[in-house]
Amino acid sequence: MKAVCWMGTSDVQTLTVEDPAILNPHDAILKITRTAICGSDLHLYDGFIPTMESGDILGHEFMGIVEDVGREVTNLQRGDRVVVPFTIACGDCIFCTKKIWSACDNTNPNAHLMEAAYGYSGSGLFGYSHMMGGYAGGQAQYVRVPFANVGPLKIESDLPDEKVLFLSDRVHGRRKRSDSRR
Amino acid sequence: MERALSEKPNAEKVSQSGVAGIVLDGHYLPPPVDKDGKQWVRTSALILRPPSELYELWRDVEKAPLWQEQITEVRVTGPKTSHWIMLTGDDSGKSIEWDSEVLNDEPDKGIAWSSVEGDSNNAGEVIFATAPGERGTIVTVLQEFRMSKLASAWETLTGRNPKQVIIENLRHFKALAETGEIPRIEGQPHGPRRTTGKAKKSLYGETIATPTGGQRTAG
Ligand SMILES: [Zn+2]
Ligand SMILES: [Zn+2]
Repeated sequence: MKAVCWMGTSDVQTLTVEDPAILNPHDAILKITRTAICGSDLHLYDGFIPTMESGDILGHEFMGIVEDVGREVTNLQRGDRVVVPFTIACGDCIFCTKKIWSACDNTNPNAHLMEAAYGYSGSGLFGYSHMMGGYAGGQAQYVRVPFANVGPLKIESDLPDEKVLFLSDRVHGRRKRSDSRR
Repeated sequence: MERALSEKPNAEKVSQSGVAGIVLDGHYLPPPVDKDGKQWVRTSALILRPPSELYELWRDVEKAPLWQEQITEVRVTGPKTSHWIMLTGDDSGKSIEWDSEVLNDEPDKGIAWSSVEGDSNNAGEVIFATAPGERGTIVTVLQEFRMSKLASAWETLTGRNPKQVIIENLRHFKALAETGEIPRIEGQPHGPRRTTGKAKKSLYGETIATPTGGQRTAG
């Protein structure tokens, strides 16, 4: 697929990379229909956010059509139209049960990096440095959405993409705890 | 919990907010060392599951490779004993092995163990204490190491000292217990990493394989 890659300070390129795959049971893959550049992407572009690596795929504001789901995904199916919030939340930790999604302490694989910078780790984010999880972002043709039962907000009306896309920078779609347990 | 905390006078103080002792590359400072060369590690996590469930997951040692870094196989060899195999490098395929014995086993409350034979000299204890306010379980891990092949393999090959390994493993354990999977970014797409990208990857510890959580569906 094609993806917008951060290749260094003031160096962003559209490159051909591998397609994303389902890596965990709660993952979903979206085909992106609209994505946006956020003002905060400028901090990355200008090189002010530590722990960016060349090759990182940018983008934390995106929406699309569900292409594939992992076997523990119960809230979404292929063909659903969704907006995805930029905070990745597990839905099951103490913070998520209180709807404090951005403090989720299960979704950042690099929590130790964020602890070093902030004292305590928050949730993983899409396309926003390795200390924020190192997740590939959505300025691409496809994206992998982890913990897909929790974040994605289904858009069942005929509102055009442009009217709902910007919910991705704010809103969390989750309403109920996942019932999927080992 | 109070008992365990008071009987290990050489352990570090539990930090009041977050995890203490980290430097900016995300590597934790090494644990304190006794005069006789023993290193102490203590860490804890609040896990939103009942103590009984967490005890069972921890006690099922053959499942340890699902959530402990670099552990490739654990075989139960008796009611209280098990044999452990750990990978010591990314591509060498070399491993170290040791036997471990459960010293104290209190269902739903805690487990203490010690290595008995082999390449590792470690002992530890995990305590499951019901957290107040229906917040699940406070899981406290205390572990001691003498410098051995295990401790030095972690340090030299993964860049993680024993303290960080224990902290990361508890994080994996929490994620697996609460959500049924361990968050990962290995296997996702990216553009060319270039030289600095590769160096950073190893500095950040991203070259260490994330344990699968037993649920890997692809990749
Ligand atoms: Zn934004
Ligand atoms: Zn959470």
